[in-house]
Amino acid sequence: MKNNIKQRRGFRFAPALVALVIGICAGGVYAAHAADAKGGDLGKLHASAGVACAMCHVDAKHPAPVPMEKCLGCHGDTRKLAEKTANVKPRNPHENRHYGTEADCNICHHQHKKSENFCLPCHQPFNFDVP
Amino acid sequence: MDQDTPQHEKEMDSYTQEVLERGVSRRSFLSRTALGAAGVGLLGVAGLGTKKAEAAQGTEALEFAKSSDGGATLSFLPKPNPISDKEIKTTLTFDVIVVGAGASGVPAALSAAENGAKVAVIQKHPMPISQGNTGSGIDLATSEKAGIEALVAKLMADNNHRCNPALLRQWAYNSGEAVRWVINRAKQAGSPVVDQGTGPQHGIAKVNGYTLNYVTSFFGPKPYTAGDGMRHLAKTAEKAGVKFFFNMPAQQLVQSKSGEVVGVIAKGRDGKYTKFLAKKGVILATGDYQNNEAMCNYFIPDLKHFGRKQMDRTGDGFAMAYWAGGVIEPIGHTKMLHDFDAGPASMCDMPFLAVNREGKRFVNETVDMSLFNNYLRDAKNAGHYSQIFDANYMTQAAKWPGKLVPPEGLKNYMPDDPSPKKGVFDSLINTHVADTLEELARKLEIDPKNFVASVKRYNEVVASGKDSDFGKPADRLIPVLQAPFYGIHRRVRVSTICSGILVNENHQALDADGKPIKGLYAIGNLGGGFYGGVDYPLTVFGLSLGRCYTFGYLTGKHVAKL
Ligand SMILES: Cc1cc2nc3c(=O)[nH]c(=O)nc-3n(C[C@H](O)[C@H](O)[C@H](O)COP(=O)(O)OP(=O)(O)OC[C@H]3O[C@@H](n4cnc5c(N)ncnc54)[C@H](O)[C@@H]3O)c2cc1C
Repeated sequence: MKNNIKQRRGFRFAPALVALVIGICAGGVYAAHAADAKGGDLGKLHASAGVACAMCHVDAKHPAPVPMEKCLGCHGDTRKLAEKTANVKPRNPHENRHYGTEADCNICHHQHKKSENFCLPCHQPFNFDVP
Repeated sequence: MDQDTPQHEKEMDSYTQEVLERGVSRRSFLSRTALGAAGVGLLGVAGLGTKKAEAAQGTEALEFAKSSDGGATLSFLPKPNPISDKEIKTTLTFDVIVVGAGASGVPAALSAAENGAKVAVIQKHPMPISQGNTGSGIDLATSEKAGIEALVAKLMADNNHRCNPALLRQWAYNSGEAVRWVINRAKQAGSPVVDQGTGPQHGIAKVNGYTLNYVTSFFGPKPYTAGDGMRHLAKTAEKAGVKFFFNMPAQQLVQSKSGEVVGVIAKGRDGKYTKFLAKKGVILATGDYQNNEAMCNYFIPDLKHFGRKQMDRTGDGFAMAYWAGGVIEPIGHTKMLHDFDAGPASMCDMPFLAVNREGKRFVNETVDMSLFNNYLRDAKNAGHYSQIFDANYMTQAAKWPGKLVPPEGLKNYMPDDPSPKKGVFDSLINTHVADTLEELARKLEIDPKNFVASVKRYNEVVASGKDSDFGKPADRLIPVLQAPFYGIHRRVRVSTICSGILVNENHQALDADGKPIKGLYAIGNLGGGFYGGVDYPLTVFGLSLGRCYTFGYLTGKHVAKL
């Protein structure tokens, strides 16, 4: 037992180190996002429509993660959305076997980086243009 | 160590002993690392002077998991941030909490409810989600005991003898009952599931001369799968009183001061937390971690370039069990990679000429499709290959094991053919026909020049009657000469990873001392000890789902009765 405690000590420094690394990464990620936003993605579209950062992120200086409910607050129920896209070919992207009509918007529609076609890696014929 | 060794550890089976010794757990790191060079090495890399290191010594517990030799920080297993009671929107109390509504979680929940427990299922997705069609069990009443033991021995060998035989036996002796129960309960909710019996298991109807019979649940045909099956089963479970909470990923376990797991905290779509308290136990059934890239790179780097068949399996259950003191099986996890969709499943193991993405032959084609991934791990091939045959395949391959689908039937797998498709996923079929080899190569997305050269060389080998390139038996050599030419472009992707958390025969997680963690259970692919080979064995067709159902059924019952 005594031995165990001694062994533990050797690694107590780890949190400090980890915090440092996270600090650096976080800085980098933030910078990258800021650059992308200027590149004309959905985040920019929102901003140009008068949606201020804080309307999604609560506090612009310390942006909180955005839960999907925020999207729905303005854009409405995803079931309605699925009805609107029912005739999109080759299939309705908003109703599928994996999530029904409740896929998280953010799996495809990104705000601060390029949006992606989440279906594509598995279903190669589903070549949607994702705004 | 000697005098500290608890009595039960001395009686431990060799599998458990091995995982305790080499698996990844909080304690294994803390006790093993600082001892020797590994610890010193890390200090050096960190560039921290002794003084700083000493200054940091006062800081409390580690933020990330560590590899068992202490050499790597496992960023994919971050320590959960404490969630204060203030942040909890609602607290709900049940007897049993099941985390994950898949092939093991839904049966566990229903089984617990049928045994009198008040049960909640917390599910990450908007509905129960699982995959696959076939799940299997042994029909005890009509199987010889020697046959059952012979099959267990065969599975041990398939697993490179790196599994816990007690868990294999538990599947063997309980799976018939469990799979039959799943079929019955899913039917109650209107599922078209059928028992295919021993039919699909003809290869193991006799093992070492002993007779076996099987219960084989088939949730199908596609697009109906075990996912739909679990949704049907969940309806039966709801009727039995199970409460489902969807869009609610579990975030962290709640532990008492003594370490007992007493609940789970989950996060809703509104970003708010709900605390679920469990009077009897928490059953983790969150599946594998195939979508956690860093975790895959650490435990099973072979998967780096392969596509994934599942989504949102980020190893949440692993992180939760790890921080509760559980032990993850050592590096070298078991993988399952298939493609049953591009062409007929019954032809996937037939030893036609196979070429990789460069159009080159790469393997003795008598190797099973489920093992081809080992030859296609590089970034370029990334699991892609094509099976090639010519107009005469129906006669020339007639005697091979497997089942040939005639040209008319192959159209069902051809995206370029206008015929309506049945029993397949339209977006995953990838079979082609062409009048020239060049055109076929184009359709299969392979280099035509290499391809034509490979076919020419293969035909020479066939004509010589001896496969001097790969040693395939002479009766598996048929030429590719007569148009039309056929190709099935398969792309094996990760179906699942089936290594997990160390558990005992009650599926209760063990800590690094080999002691059961009170209140914590792990089933399905999150549960360890059942496999161990490089690849998942296809000896028993549907073993994976069969095991998930069986251990869900048994664990639900066990925890409910506590
Ligand atoms: C395409 C495909 C075909 C297959 N075919 C077969 C077959 O025919 N026969 C066979 O035996 N096996 C087959 N398999 C393998 C088999 O499907 C799996 O081994 C089995 O589904 C695993 O069951 P599980 O309960 O461990 O996980 P899953 O069935 O994957 O369920 C895990 C559940 O946990 C949920 N979850 C994850 N994280 C959290 C969290 N933090 N909080 C709450 N919930 C969470 C997920 O939403 C998911 O629903 C196939 C696999 C694939 C991908």
